[in-house]
Amino acid sequence: MPASPEKSSALRMGLLIFLGLAVLTALEFAMAILLAFWQLLLLVSLFKAGLVLYYYMHVSRLFEADQDADHESYAYRLATNRIGLWLFLVSDAFIFGGLLISRINLLGLTRPELNQVLGLSVTSVLLISSFFMNRAETAMAHGDRRQFIRGIGVTLFLGMLFLAGVVGVEWQIAAFGPGDGVAGAIFYAMTGFHAFHVLTGVIFLMVVLRNGLRGRYSVEKHWAVEACAVYWHFVDVVWIFFYPALYLIGTVL
Amino acid sequence: MKKFFALGLVRGLSWEIIGTALGIGFVTLVRLLIGLPAWKAEPAVVFGALLGALFFLVGVGAVDDWFKWAVGRETGEHFDDSHPGWRRYFGASLDHKVIGIQYLVLSLILMSVGGLFALIFRTELAEVQMQFLTLNQYNTLMSLHGMVMIVSILLGIAAYMNYLVPLLIGARDMAFPRLNAFSFWIAVPAGLILLSSLFLGGFDTGWTGYPPLSARAPLGMQMFFLGVSLAGFSSIFGGLNILATVIRLRAPGMTPFKMPIFVWAALATSLISLTATQLIGLSFQMVMLQRLFGMGFFDPAKGGNPVLFQHLFWFYSHPAVYVFVLPGLGLISELLPVFVRKPLFGYRWVAMSSLGIALVGFLVWGHHMFTSGMAEYLRVPFMYSTLLVAVPTGVKFFSWVGTVWRGKITFETPMLFLLASIVVFLLGGLTGPPNATVSTDLHLHDTYYIVGHFHDTMFGGYIFPFFAALYFWFPKMTGKRLNERLGQLQFWLITPSFVVLSLWMMRVGLLGMRRRIADYDAALGFEASHLVMTVAGFLIGLSLIVFFINVWYSLKKGPPAIGNLWNSRSPEWQVASPMPVHNYDQPFEVVGEPYDYGLPGSQYIRFKGEK
Repeated sequence: MPASPEKSSALRMGLLIFLGLAVLTALEFAMAILLAFWQLLLLVSLFKAGLVLYYYMHVSRLFEADQDADHESYAYRLATNRIGLWLFLVSDAFIFGGLLISRINLLGLTRPELNQVLGLSVTSVLLISSFFMNRAETAMAHGDRRQFIRGIGVTLFLGMLFLAGVVGVEWQIAAFGPGDGVAGAIFYAMTGFHAFHVLTGVIFLMVVLRNGLRGRYSVEKHWAVEACAVYWHFVDVVWIFFYPALYLIGTVL
Repeated sequence: MKKFFALGLVRGLSWEIIGTALGIGFVTLVRLLIGLPAWKAEPAVVFGALLGALFFLVGVGAVDDWFKWAVGRETGEHFDDSHPGWRRYFGASLDHKVIGIQYLVLSLILMSVGGLFALIFRTELAEVQMQFLTLNQYNTLMSLHGMVMIVSILLGIAAYMNYLVPLLIGARDMAFPRLNAFSFWIAVPAGLILLSSLFLGGFDTGWTGYPPLSARAPLGMQMFFLGVSLAGFSSIFGGLNILATVIRLRAPGMTPFKMPIFVWAALATSLISLTATQLIGLSFQMVMLQRLFGMGFFDPAKGGNPVLFQHLFWFYSHPAVYVFVLPGLGLISELLPVFVRKPLFGYRWVAMSSLGIALVGFLVWGHHMFTSGMAEYLRVPFMYSTLLVAVPTGVKFFSWVGTVWRGKITFETPMLFLLASIVVFLLGGLTGPPNATVSTDLHLHDTYYIVGHFHDTMFGGYIFPFFAALYFWFPKMTGKRLNERLGQLQFWLITPSFVVLSLWMMRVGLLGMRRRIADYDAALGFEASHLVMTVAGFLIGLSLIVFFINVWYSLKKGPPAIGNLWNSRSPEWQVASPMPVHNYDQPFEVVGEPYDYGLPGSQYIRFKGEK
């Protein structure tokens, strides 16, 4: 099937945003080494989060006017579902906000000693997974089922890889356990809460993959795919803030 | 017998027992496999209780449809209604009216349990020295009284928001009926887990659960934390549902400033419960983790900070009191015009005042911590932000006075409760600023004065409006009107005794009685006052018994309630009682102002096909 112009431009935009995010992440890493200036890191994180919110999570769809005034129609319910999902994300953001506040309160401008290579690797894995998630959603919205399935599959694999990297490797090789001092406590709490969300996202992806393979989604009706994508990107946004908070800002304890 | 086991609730409870046993067994097995001593009560019981709660949800059928969606099956708009009559209240239902009544009943049950706890330790306090409770029992009952009542209040406001919001805005149901059923049913295991702390060693921290004390309290503490965390999900998802429903499902013509005031109040409440609730959950879960895995968030020996807990805790728990009272204050504004036959005074200001209280409420939590050792420069900003809450609250009082002014007042039971709630809430409001002001709070902190102030706000802002609304909408829910004479009896039992109770609480508080204390020195001379409070407490208990007799009697023997009983303009009274299954057969359109009582020719709604 030849790609329609809208589809290729949507895919191009997805790639562009991904490249932007990758460059910014590299910049963050370099800045943390060279400048140790947390205000700049915060600015970059906010900018990255803004990019994901706008281009990957389509926050502007919330404010689109209703095409159909009938409360029972699919279009109207879809818009209601979007509002419901976003309200949930707002609520969820308060947990992660609370964890960040706790981290700042307890550790200030110090951080636990962690493996920087591993940190950058899992961050990259999550970022790349977000790119493929976006591709999969774009493909579904334009009716390209093969690319959709491929995208979901890659995202799922990368999600599991991230989990393996954090829980399977980072937690095992860290020089401290959850009971060793407050830095350990906050590190395991933040990565643990985040990993739990990644895990639910992975389960969500499995459900979408299964139903996608059975052809249950169409160009018009694929709310589950969209919800899965938005949720997955949200988990990514959380990591955009958690990564510098745990790995980059301040000095090693 | 077979029918008994077909009830969703019974199935859910059986599943919960199985799940708890499995969870306990699983943890024990894992510990055995990795070579630890097999039995350790705390992790096993916590995991068991958590798994039991999840199993309950599966057993009761609240998550059936989501599993069906996950495997790609379509589902109907409602569950198969295999249980007609009273049975449908004992199983998962998607109808917001059924869920609202389920919430109401559970709330009343918990209110009775919490009240019973209060009467038990109140009796202990009537005389100096310990008579029949141990110190641990006293502490457990006193702490559980607080949290059981809070959960009861959360369920009570959820009851009215569920039952009323879709009716008032003309929706067929909530925006997410399955999430609605989930929100209710998770509250049942949450309540059970919370109460199970009584039998698992109790706890002694009060309802606030501050570490470091809570980090080394008996096992009951964990059940308290877990129960509250689960109840929090009920509140979060309930709030989400209300917000989505109000944003999306209003009748045509119902612009924001034509919504009933109760809907505004529900909106403001839901904004708080959606967001802030996560932080009490987080703070409690952090203490749970500290106890389970030794994670030292609040352990100074490990570099932790106990005051951080208080910040996280109060960031929810102060706005939470607005969650408790805003719906009640909304109900006052909603019902007052009906009984004075006059428009609500200053509608727009009242609508905005609910939002104003909710938003300012996010900025005041530090006033609970003036004595906690938080940075001193924070005290004055928190003092001023707290005093600022008086402004939108004052707007409400001004509006109530303006509404009642020269009205044609009739004194049915709901109206009596409304008037009492205004007076009692005023008492609670006026006793607030001394606590908000740093210089006086340093003296009043942790005394019975605070207890008196708090009970005034809760009774004025929740209990009295709760009963006013129940007397008002009971005919809509059941088709039977509550007996008026028994209603008046309940009112005249509860109101004077409550006012005496709260005033005497403040009196002994000002004289130096500490809160949460099981015993006091006879030389302080509080014995007579405590006896007065205990007697008043029992009279309040008696009034509740009168209420339950009234419900039973009216359902059995009461005459059917027909038509627009209170001559209300609200849409739900324009159709039959009890409400038809899908609410309005004919959709309506909003054509006028909601509260234009007494204005000739004015119309609020018009049903389709009607002139």
